[in-house]
Amino acid sequence: MIKTSHLLKIFNGRGQTVRAVDDVSTEIARGEVVVVIGPSGSGKSTFLRCLNGLEEFDAGNIIIDGVDFADRRTDINQVRREVGMVFQQFNLFPHKTVLENITLAQTIVRKRSPAEAESKGRALLAKVGIAEKEAEYPSRLSGGQQQRVAIARALAMDPKVILFDEPTSALDPEMVGEVLDVMKQLAREGMTMVVVTHEMGFAREVADRILFMDQGRIVEEGTPESFFTTPREERTKLFLNQIL
Amino acid sequence: MYSTSKDNWKWQLLLAGILICIVVSMVVATKRVDYTWHWERVPGYFFYHSEELEKAPFDGQVTAITQQGELSTVTVKAEDGELFSIEVETAGVKVSTGEELFEGDILGSNPGWHIGPLVKGLWTTIWISFLSGILGMILGLVTGLCRVSKNPTLRGLSIIYIEIIRGTPLLVQIFIFYFFVGTVLNLDRLVAGVCALAIFSGAYVAEIIRAGIQSIPKGQSEAARSLGMNSFQTMVYIVLPQAFKRTLPPLAGQFISLIKDSSLVSVIAITDLSKAGREVITSSFATFEVWFVVAALYLAVTSVLSQFIFWVERRLSVSD
Repeated sequence: MIKTSHLLKIFNGRGQTVRAVDDVSTEIARGEVVVVIGPSGSGKSTFLRCLNGLEEFDAGNIIIDGVDFADRRTDINQVRREVGMVFQQFNLFPHKTVLENITLAQTIVRKRSPAEAESKGRALLAKVGIAEKEAEYPSRLSGGQQQRVAIARALAMDPKVILFDEPTSALDPEMVGEVLDVMKQLAREGMTMVVVTHEMGFAREVADRILFMDQGRIVEEGTPESFFTTPREERTKLFLNQIL
Repeated sequence: MYSTSKDNWKWQLLLAGILICIVVSMVVATKRVDYTWHWERVPGYFFYHSEELEKAPFDGQVTAITQQGELSTVTVKAEDGELFSIEVETAGVKVSTGEELFEGDILGSNPGWHIGPLVKGLWTTIWISFLSGILGMILGLVTGLCRVSKNPTLRGLSIIYIEIIRGTPLLVQIFIFYFFVGTVLNLDRLVAGVCALAIFSGAYVAEIIRAGIQSIPKGQSEAARSLGMNSFQTMVYIVLPQAFKRTLPPLAGQFISLIKDSSLVSVIAITDLSKAGREVITSSFATFEVWFVVAALYLAVTSVLSQFIFWVERRLSVSD
């Protein structure tokens, strides 16, 4: 489904270059839930953002569902409609109502009729449990509700993969659960998911595989079971000691 | 800290007192320079009643005068047989049947209300400002988009345009536009005036639009792009609507400035409100009154505009 090979992303700033993503090669299968964890600045968000072209990479390659990112003929907008993304800061469109947030891209990108887009939007709002808020503007919603709308917005495009970039980090603690519940439900339904998160409980419960990144590299990967109980690398042990 | 709400009336009283002082001192000041006010002369320059003289369009002979009560129809026949008929007030008929006429002879007169120079000037100011405002908005939007574009050519052009326009006086720009561009392209003075104002306000609008676009968090366009929208769709559906809302107050200020700046086109002999004011003074000698009236008219137009913008702002704030 997703294959990255020797992915390299360099940030240049103030005379120093940082290898934010350094030689990352991995494969993610259809229906797999991969959780990426690591200390801040480890390049996990940058890696995620490379997967839908929000960051351009400097070397290596990404192939998603047969679409080759390095091929100059590839239309990145076509890739993006198949790869949904949920952001830390939700990034809902504040000038659109909740329902309009979900229908906008359906009508202008997927070319669906307004009626079709709305019925799909309402079904997804019901699925994430906030059907009654469809006419509200995002600013009237709590953080947890906004993030659930953002998930519905991504789902409305019928993506093959959804990328989650620290979806619960900006939430008040009491709202984390409602967002994670929606994500767990998606995982059960077989959605392919790549999740950058600090929620270790979620990682342990839902992930099929965990990638541990540090300084732009994948340091260790494995099942949650082996990762949390018998980490092999020193850096992994250090990290787990700090957070658990 | 003062509790201003409790003692509100005291402050209102003070405000009224200060305003009264200003008015009184102005009256005293004009007394000292021995100025006689003639406010009664002003309304005539808004609307006036006069006899409109009707003239014969060609040489010929009056063939008939038919009276229908207050009005009479005068018919003139030219030597080649062409007929001309006109209705005039019966009391104002100046010719009789059979009379030989030359072109331009007065047939009669019609009394009527006419629009005075101040109203005409006000109208010119309004439409010139409106038209150049719309053009300036379009120009500013395009330039603002170029200004934030990744393309160095577009960015360079927009920066040069903005810097030149913002760094030179509007008065000089109007002269250059009228005497140089206008001569080269053979432009009418009105076209030159409107273009100069539009180009002038476009540069300021561009900077406002640029600031507005850059004030929208990057996450907004990232979210739009992540849904598969291209950069054009992202701009049109996501960034510009939000930027527009944020830039309304500075845009309103810009258009209010434009209305006032439009008074400068009088230097290329466009009879706008301020030039009309100057012309009225030459015949009325009511210098103080006319300038006060002209100022009040500008104030009226700009107030209407700011109320309208205020209304739009309130309507757009529902999503806050």
